Amino acid sequence: MTKQGHNKNADQQTVFIVDDDASIRDGLSNLLEALGMNAEQYSSAEMFFERWDSTRSGCLLLDVRLPGMTGVEFQEKMLRAGSTLPIIFMTAHGDIPMVRKVMKSGAIEFLTKPFPKEELLHAIGQAFTIDRNRRREERIFNSIRVRAASLTEREREVMSMVTSGMLNKQIAAELNLSEIMVKLHRRHVMEKMGAESLADLVKLSERIKMP
Amino acid sequence: MKSLTADQLSKWTMRYGVRPGATAGFFVLVAFLWTLLFQHAIAYPYLFLFYGAVMGSAWFGGILAGFFAVILSSVIIAFFFVPPFLSMTVAEPSQTYFAAFIFSAIAMTLVSSALRRSETAVRNARDQLEAKVQERTAELQQSNLDLLESGRRLRMLTDAIPQQMWSANADGIIEYCNQHLIDYIGSPVEGALEKAFSSFLHSVDKRVFCQVWRSALETGKAFEVEARILSSNGSYRWFLIRSIPQLSADGTIARWYGIHIDIEQQYRAQQGLIQAQDELARLSRLLSMGELAASIAHELNQPLTAVVTHAYACRLWLRANPANIERAADTADKIVQESTRASAVVARVRALFRKDEPIRETRDLNSLIQGLVRLLRDEAIRRNVSIELVLAEDLPKADLDPVQIQQVFLNLAINAMDAMAEASEPRQLTIRTIKQADSMIQMTVEDRGTGLTPEAAVRMFEPFFSTKANGTGMGLAICRSIIEAHDGRIWATESAGGGTVFHITLPVRS
Repeated sequence: MTKQGHNKNADQQTVFIVDDDASIRDGLSNLLEALGMNAEQYSSAEMFFERWDSTRSGCLLLDVRLPGMTGVEFQEKMLRAGSTLPIIFMTAHGDIPMVRKVMKSGAIEFLTKPFPKEELLHAIGQAFTIDRNRRREERIFNSIRVRAASLTEREREVMSMVTSGMLNKQIAAELNLSEIMVKLHRRHVMEKMGAESLADLVKLSERIKMP
Repeated sequence: MKSLTADQLSKWTMRYGVRPGATAGFFVLVAFLWTLLFQHAIAYPYLFLFYGAVMGSAWFGGILAGFFAVILSSVIIAFFFVPPFLSMTVAEPSQTYFAAFIFSAIAMTLVSSALRRSETAVRNARDQLEAKVQERTAELQQSNLDLLESGRRLRMLTDAIPQQMWSANADGIIEYCNQHLIDYIGSPVEGALEKAFSSFLHSVDKRVFCQVWRSALETGKAFEVEARILSSNGSYRWFLIRSIPQLSADGTIARWYGIHIDIEQQYRAQQGLIQAQDELARLSRLLSMGELAASIAHELNQPLTAVVTHAYACRLWLRANPANIERAADTADKIVQESTRASAVVARVRALFRKDEPIRETRDLNSLIQGLVRLLRDEAIRRNVSIELVLAEDLPKADLDPVQIQQVFLNLAINAMDAMAEASEPRQLTIRTIKQADSMIQMTVEDRGTGLTPEAAVRMFEPFFSTKANGTGMGLAICRSIIEAHDGRIWATESAGGGTVFHITLPVRS
């Protein structure tokens, strides 16, 4: 496990702890370190927002009641700023309406202090998985977009017709080309997009939703 | 005489000329004819018949007719019956006799007319008297009718007023009750008021009413009592019984008037209000307790959360291979630090509720209890509970915080009343004070409620333990802490009557 962690050092995931109570932050980061995780402490939402780097993976461990800005307001601010960082809320009050609100806005978990270690780890594990998957999706999407950008105008036309189910003959007639030229363009498209079959190509094109 | 009209003149002539003249003429004519007829049969017959004519004229025609008759008679006698006959002259031997006749006739006229006048006056007086009597009789009859009418009107009025009314004499015997009262009770109210009222007043209110009524009879002062009256349909309603005395001229009481005003609706509304107030007070107490509890919980949660997370971490550092002793020791330090912080929170909370310097005043427990029972009276009546005080005489004084001890006592008394809420009557709350041999005084609060469940008997003094739906569970816990702070003891036993007895002992002032 540790090996794997070291191997993937590049996208080592971090738990960003935001709580105004230093002893809580301290306790949490001590526990997470003992578990071999990366943890960083922030005493306020503003402080985290200033130092936030959207490329860093992990999750937020956030106290619901923070001075200056409530946890819910912070959650909304992060969403508006385009963050996809999963959030785990903590509270010392069993505040049911607030639980409903933050869970609706996409919070992973709502922990009532003091909470058992297992609950925390489960929530962090879930958050990490979600963040990792989301980031992978994003990477794939980006690479497809890069590949699609390398297509010529004609190749793009051919691809959209092929993926909408037209036969070579029909495409040739439509674009006023010979069938052989259509076949040639089609092979280039497949090569550039890295698709191994027609089904593959359809999937890729749908992902980037090319017109 | 100047203004005398023809009409008046004819009246005057009629009155003083024609009528007495005619009367005198008539009588004298009759006398003359009869005298003519009998003059040869009787010697000197002319005299007495003319006397009769004069007398009749004076009687029937008045004094004027009398004189006319005297003159006429004299002329006729002189002309016809006194020698020389058929001449106006009177012969020498008859002159004296003739003059005597005239004088006697005049005297007779005077006497006869006077008699007549007095007789007329007497008759007039009698007639007037009779008229007066008739007039008075008619007046009396009218006033009798008026009296009857006003009595009837008064009764109609008392029946029209939608309240119950009665009157009683000075001895308290009922004289009258209106139709509303009869209809409501279902039978007429008769006899001694106290006895009659005892039959339809609620048993609790009966005692109060009888007390007030008796003292009213003594002092003669108006009074007001609120009481439940049993109606003929078997249900009670609240009434305001108000009575005022009517004083006679010498200042003694002549009569009592009473009115019963139905206050059931007001009473219910008032009860509703009291309940709402109670509810509000309880709610606000619960709310503030809830907020306090929440803030204490938050204050405690922070360090406890830190302790828990550090403890997890500590175990992980120790279990790591190799064990990270340094980090584990650091973490253990943190645990100590955070635990200390938690206990500081607890100490702060306790300081919040504790007075540093306890108040101790030398007080008589009996008078403290009596003062409180006065406060509880209304509540007890509302809940239909009677309070019995059995206070020890020569009870030694004790050093205590009067407010706190009253709080304990109130708590126990209210608890006892709550315990009897479901119980059947009689609901009696007995409070005793007892002087003990070992320089302690004891107070007991005994109810006739349903008693304690086995669980309650064991746990009732624990904080947050309550058998009431909305109880905070703090009442008895606070009682115990107050009594223990006074070096006393509080415990509960089962009562002989099936309820519960709370015992409190306090040390006598040393």
